[in-house]
Amino acid sequence: MRTTVKTLALPFGLAVALSAGAAGAAETTLPKDLPPYGQDKPLPVPAITQKTLDNGLAVWVLSRTDGPPKVDVVLAVRGGKASDPADRPAMSDLLASLLTEGTRTRSSIEIAEQLQAIGASIDATAGNDGITVAGSGLASGAERLVGLLADVGLNASFPEAEVTLAKANALQALKAAEAQPSYQASRAIARAIYGDHPYARTLTTETSIEKTDRAALAAAHTARFRPDRALLVVSGRIDAATALKYANGAFGGWKAQGEAPAEVVAAPREAKPQYVLVERSGSVQSAVRLGRPVFAANDADEIPAALANTILGGGGLDTRLNRNLREDKGYTYGAYSAFSVARRGGAFTSGADVRNEVTGAAVGEFVKELQKLIDTPVDAAELERAKRAAAGGYLFRNQLQSAVARSLAANWLVGRPPEYLGQFVPRTREVTAEQVQTMARRYFDPKTLSIVVVGDKAVAEQLQAYGKFDASPAGD
Amino acid sequence: MTFRRLVLGLAALAIPLGAAAADRWQLPIAVKKLDNGLTVVVSEDASSPTVGVSVVYHVGMRLEPKGRTGFAHLFEHLMFQGTPNAPKGTFDRVIEGGGGMNNGSTRADYTNYIETAPVSALEPILWLEADRMKTLDFSAENLKNQQDVVKEEIRVNVQNKPYGLFFWSDINRLAFSKWENAHDGYGSFADLEGARLEDVRAFHRDFYGPNNAVIGIVGDIKAEQAFALVEKYFGAIPARPVPPRPDVAEPLNTREKRESQTDALAQVPALAVGWKMPERGSADQAPMDVLAQLLVGDSASRLYQGLVKGREQLLNIEGGVNWPLGDAWDYAGPAPLVLFGLYKPGVQVDAVLEAIDEEIARIVKDGVDAATLKRVKTKMLADYNDGLEAFISRADTLAKAQLLWGDAKTVNQIPAWIDAVQGADLQRVAARYLTAANRVVIDRTPAPAAAAGDKP
Repeated sequence: MRTTVKTLALPFGLAVALSAGAAGAAETTLPKDLPPYGQDKPLPVPAITQKTLDNGLAVWVLSRTDGPPKVDVVLAVRGGKASDPADRPAMSDLLASLLTEGTRTRSSIEIAEQLQAIGASIDATAGNDGITVAGSGLASGAERLVGLLADVGLNASFPEAEVTLAKANALQALKAAEAQPSYQASRAIARAIYGDHPYARTLTTETSIEKTDRAALAAAHTARFRPDRALLVVSGRIDAATALKYANGAFGGWKAQGEAPAEVVAAPREAKPQYVLVERSGSVQSAVRLGRPVFAANDADEIPAALANTILGGGGLDTRLNRNLREDKGYTYGAYSAFSVARRGGAFTSGADVRNEVTGAAVGEFVKELQKLIDTPVDAAELERAKRAAAGGYLFRNQLQSAVARSLAANWLVGRPPEYLGQFVPRTREVTAEQVQTMARRYFDPKTLSIVVVGDKAVAEQLQAYGKFDASPAGD
Repeated sequence: MTFRRLVLGLAALAIPLGAAAADRWQLPIAVKKLDNGLTVVVSEDASSPTVGVSVVYHVGMRLEPKGRTGFAHLFEHLMFQGTPNAPKGTFDRVIEGGGGMNNGSTRADYTNYIETAPVSALEPILWLEADRMKTLDFSAENLKNQQDVVKEEIRVNVQNKPYGLFFWSDINRLAFSKWENAHDGYGSFADLEGARLEDVRAFHRDFYGPNNAVIGIVGDIKAEQAFALVEKYFGAIPARPVPPRPDVAEPLNTREKRESQTDALAQVPALAVGWKMPERGSADQAPMDVLAQLLVGDSASRLYQGLVKGREQLLNIEGGVNWPLGDAWDYAGPAPLVLFGLYKPGVQVDAVLEAIDEEIARIVKDGVDAATLKRVKTKMLADYNDGLEAFISRADTLAKAQLLWGDAKTVNQIPAWIDAVQGADLQRVAARYLTAANRVVIDRTPAPAAAAGDKP
């Protein structure tokens, strides 16, 4: 492909030079007949109408006149798993799942049937920093959906019988989850990364479920669900005035009660690496995970680190990790890397599930790929491809109104402003190869990474070169 | 041609439009067939400067060679391993480096290759899809590499995982009698390792020609432009003979089949139930879709309310027609309605089956009240629209409808077919299909002592 230079027209009047992905690619010669990429169209930026109701509730509306005839409504409140008591880790999971199991005026079945009648559903989930109650339904039912969402968010009553059933089911679901190697790996790497910080306690335990009762749930609900620490996003086939009218009608009378949860302490940015083998007898694969703590959301490193991660293993199959571990070696179905950042801290993790006999060799390849990004600057073509991949990912999410609404709520929970969404691509475009290398030095240094392997104990001898591994029994 | 009969039958009815009519989402659909037999389906949508593309081939697990279980899926992986013109790595590099994403999946009746990207990457995508339709780089090294990758995929999804997709592979084995429908589409390691380059060549030649494919394009492009681009890149690929398709049809089962399994990795027992479904295009298809939603579609459904709530026997219940690898509208050969749930300590499987039977019997006897039926159909319309929101899914749904139904416009008609279903239809299909005789049951219990990775 010949080298072409195109201009990406941005609505902020920025004009950024953008070369085609193949420009100057030293490592691959593209087919001579392959047509070049066409002219890029302007990047759409969500137009958000923002209003704060008298009670302090922030309301953001994204209207659209195209796309499917649906409306998305998302309520986010501050205070998630990091605010759960230390002896009841992930109590927020029960809190979130019980919101739709009964309110002061509606039973569980009434909520389910009334949602069904307007072609809607409501999912409530708990994250590190908050609880998100997301509703989606046909546009014709918008007003009723906003009303139902307000009812489950504000008036959840945690009926005793529903709490008892939810606890019984959660205990069995935990047993089922613990049989999954991926679940054991997630738990072990989170502990290695976050140590004593609450971000390490995002997966529940038997004791936590047993100790949780109706009173604890109701108290946590009262403390966390308050308008001055909440955001409502409405998006879809609805105009801003109508959306604000519905929001005011359903949420205008909401009042804060009692004390809000305390601010979570900042998580450490460094941790002494740990090497853990979680024994899983008879396992035919090893779940390998590497990780370390990093920065919180809104850190200056956030955008360049995300781009470095796209190159390493955050994209699809044309990443350093997948080109090596999957397409060259055939060790795995897929290798990945990710930055997960929260309000008070963040983590870098990477991993793959590999067959037993290549467990040590796979760890060796992770180390090589991480070290290569530290030692050698990325070339211009690879950097450009990663930037285009980041822009494409943004455009894809923008097709889906529920994804945009949820992204806005997730950004708000970690403390990012609404403009972050529209600024992500232009800010990514400014990242240099030097910055990528700096990020690799800061966050990819293999000597700073904990390593967790969930697998048969026979793989232990393959790991000796990478650290002194402690054996940890499964189910701990 | 049962399909024609269904369409004519519905067209002759005056379908009353309910309250949901305003929420009906009609897509613009333009279809053109090239001289080489490649059918092109386009739906314009300028709401995002992106496109979704799906190239669907009319071959899947049913048509893989005997003694080569898992071959259709292995072949799908090899479609990403390069061609004489575009060496291994080019495909992902150009699409991901152009801001796009791509994937492929193998199902019983089709294999699809899907992409979404900024519209600026559409021409390179079409070039790459046309290039691999012509021929592949039939290399022993790439075959070995992907045999390894597919084995890791099977380890991660089946052998190293509790339950290991038994509600798919083992339900099919038990429910169906013809090899095409009953065999394990992921394949045995012995068969996968036995695959040879000549198998790969023959499969590409026989099933991957333009006349055995449909391409769907959705997004910020006019239909005429899209037709011209497809003509430009695919028009010169000659049609290739396609082997005659075997008759894979099977009657409903007349005797219940049950199996008990142990699972060395699981900690909680599980139950799966399957019933053989009406054939594609049958007048029973839409009622069966509605009945499945009524039974297991969401948290208002009869089985969730009756067995997870109510009797408190199950932790969860999932399922549906053609679940988990498809839906009620994207199968061609025989497909089951599947239920899958984890059950609680002390619960007897027979009690769960009895409860399911009670819920079904109640529908057969009493039908469904009008309000419930309306609610269920309203939710189905919302879910249907959701499934079409992403351009990549819309392109794929349109291409599959063209391939499996011979008409992409069925995508716009299905909501009306669902809306036309009446309570008596549900009684009829519940009585006909959801019988004990037409049922298969697998009870899977933890077996801590056995070796991991053992799969019956």
